[in-house]
Amino acid sequence: MNTFSLAPLIIYLPLAGLLFNALFGWRIVDADREVGERVTGWVATLMVVGAFIVSVTLFLSLVSNGFSAWFVPMFKWIVIPSANFEVNWTLQIDTLSVTMMLVVSGVGSLIHIYALGYMKGDMDYSRFFVYFNLFIFFMLILVSGSSYLMMFVGWEGVGLCSYLLISFWWYRLDKEGKTANATAGRKAMVMNRIGDFGVLIAMFLLFWTFGTLDYKPIFDGAVKMFEANQMVQFGGMSLPLPTVLTAVTLLFLLGVTGKSAQIPLYTWLPDAMAGPTPVSALIHAATMVTAGVYLLVRSDVLYEIVRQSGALLLGLISTPDLVAWVGALTAFFAGLIAFSQNDIKKVLAYSTVSQLGFMVAAAGMGAYVAAMFHLITHAFFKALLFLGSGSVIHGMEHGHHEISHGHDGHGEDDGFDPQDMRYMGGLRHKMRVTYVTYLIGALALAGIFPLAGFWSKDEILLHAQTHQTPIFIILALAAMGTAFYVGRQLIMVFFGQPRHAAAEHAHESPALMTRPLVVLAGLTVLGGLLNVPYLSAAAAERAGMHAKGFWLALEQWVAPSIPALELAEEGVLHLPHTPISVSYAVAGLSMLLAVGGLALAYLIYRGRPKTYDEPDRLSRTPIWWWSILPLNSLHMKILVPGFNRMAAWLAFKFDGEFWSDFLHDRVLRDTFVSFADFSSDVLDSQGVDGLVNGSATVVRRLSGLLRLTQTGYVRTYALAVFLGAVGLLVYFLLAAG
Amino acid sequence: MPSVVDINWYIALSGILFVIGVLGVLLRRNAIIVFMSIELMLNSANLLFVAFARHLGSLHGQVLVFFVITVAAAEVAVGLALIVAIFRTKKSINIDEINILKG
Repeated sequence: MNTFSLAPLIIYLPLAGLLFNALFGWRIVDADREVGERVTGWVATLMVVGAFIVSVTLFLSLVSNGFSAWFVPMFKWIVIPSANFEVNWTLQIDTLSVTMMLVVSGVGSLIHIYALGYMKGDMDYSRFFVYFNLFIFFMLILVSGSSYLMMFVGWEGVGLCSYLLISFWWYRLDKEGKTANATAGRKAMVMNRIGDFGVLIAMFLLFWTFGTLDYKPIFDGAVKMFEANQMVQFGGMSLPLPTVLTAVTLLFLLGVTGKSAQIPLYTWLPDAMAGPTPVSALIHAATMVTAGVYLLVRSDVLYEIVRQSGALLLGLISTPDLVAWVGALTAFFAGLIAFSQNDIKKVLAYSTVSQLGFMVAAAGMGAYVAAMFHLITHAFFKALLFLGSGSVIHGMEHGHHEISHGHDGHGEDDGFDPQDMRYMGGLRHKMRVTYVTYLIGALALAGIFPLAGFWSKDEILLHAQTHQTPIFIILALAAMGTAFYVGRQLIMVFFGQPRHAAAEHAHESPALMTRPLVVLAGLTVLGGLLNVPYLSAAAAERAGMHAKGFWLALEQWVAPSIPALELAEEGVLHLPHTPISVSYAVAGLSMLLAVGGLALAYLIYRGRPKTYDEPDRLSRTPIWWWSILPLNSLHMKILVPGFNRMAAWLAFKFDGEFWSDFLHDRVLRDTFVSFADFSSDVLDSQGVDGLVNGSATVVRRLSGLLRLTQTGYVRTYALAVFLGAVGLLVYFLLAAG
Repeated sequence: MPSVVDINWYIALSGILFVIGVLGVLLRRNAIIVFMSIELMLNSANLLFVAFARHLGSLHGQVLVFFVITVAAAEVAVGLALIVAIFRTKKSINIDEINILKG
């Protein structure tokens, strides 16, 4: 049996897990808390571990298959013969989708195990794991589909799971008595809808142009049409292909800004931290938010054709460049916003926005491999950081719990917030494992040699330095900002003295939570080896491009799934390609910036704040206002009212006056009402009823006449009998005669 | 030897009796009278049976008369019982007042 035919299991396993928990989970937990939690939690976890094992099998199959893609048809999905429309549910097993599968199911497994400990005792224990498995299910559909439509199913599905999990504790009230968690979930949903709308329109355009939604035919067709300079017909209008693709790629960018939280739709991600911490780690750091990057890398051919053709948007900028700029600006500004956050998870949230900006910028510059590389390493260290922060919060909550029930006089409620870094401090002595692993993750995020983040960020910076200097400058500054807020967070959480009794009484989390931290820390240390320039370059030299040797660099591995790279080799496209290498100047500079950022944080925050109500040292410097105000006011003064006005116009003018009033009320409703009136007043009451009532009247009148003979007098009947007898007699006499 | 009365006289008498019976049924209001008129019609028929039996020298007609007398006796029993029952409820035997089966 071909091992590729195992592929549907990656979808079926999480589906089985979620069905089991949805149907039986809550019953088991209700029946016996202790056993029930163990059963439901482990069923969900083992299903994801199973999906990971299948992914590894697929990885090995691909290696032995020489990296060429394999399609596993599952069933026919939508077939409309008249429109020549056919979408099959087919899994595309290529190096890119398997990479994503490995990340999703691998990191997903670790976070599931962590959640077993983190969610212990929650009143909705089984519901959590149902949603979690549902997320894995949709995420694997997203990455394994062979068409944009299948990707969109997963895309919408993970959005739904994101909503469900952000507002998981929807009933909890915040300090102002509002259901902030539910609001955050709604916000994420709405922001994502804006992006999804872009993806939908882009898909319509693609279908109109190419008559299919499958990746491979679209890319092949696009290249063929581009080489032949063919036009695309829209009714009476015909547009050159690059113009159409500019629209498609721009709309895809809109989807990316929604899903991957880029400017201008990034604002939902920080609010999404309302969800449980494992959710933040899995969905809002490691996997779902990278779906946008996956979409960019998947659509590489479309972007590269636009870049090659020189088609400009509004005569200003080509869409790939716009992608790069959006990513770079997001990386920079989100990093600045992270400076001012006091919530341990909010810092990580803005950091995620910023790191996603790096990936999007890389994809926009054509550095697809570097984008994927950073996606993977970021999944490792950001999941590690989020899980670490969850462990810290867990420890702080237990510390607070202890003092509330102790009798040392610190028990009164003073607005304590277990996520607020100002209440922490000195935790490195209380939580050894969490501290060491968090330190590794933080240094990787800052880009310190030789952790994973250094290598992947360096690839992006090197590419930017080679091809687009302004973006290189912005990204370099963003990298320095990253190091600064990482340093600030480390100092505030783990160093100095405890600033609150809860921090004094905090203690280490259970092994179920710390073990995934250790594994992720290991991956963070070793992750850079995936694509280390020295090793892989040497390997590539020895064995050619498709090396099957012992060492496999990410670049050689992913390249067969990025058609643009191959097309560049054939000379069809001129990709601004940078083979993996290391430039000592760039690497040195990025190290210098990282160390500089950390040192700056050390200088400013050493031993600060001393107490939890001391104002932030940065709040007195102008950089604070400069970094925060423009974005917020831009957002509140221009984007929000503009969007409101557009929405109001659409609602009142278009939907209200044209669509509802004219088309619905006048045309559709009035026609229908007059037809209904005719049917009821004329056809029914006069035609049908007249027939029925008429026959009844005839019968009634006739029987009225007949009734007169029935007098009730015996005499009458006797006379009738007599006359009858006489009549018979006369008849017989006459007949005889 | 008694004189033999011609059969035509019997037929005529029977006819007269029958017509009296019919007219009694059709014209009288009193239920007893109506009842008696019916008896009269039966007996006119009996008379005709017996007369023809004698005339033809056959016993069939006389046997049939016995059946008629038997049936008439039963009819009288039922009919008088009905009249008594009607009189008990309506305090009258005027058949013009008995028309509740009017259509």
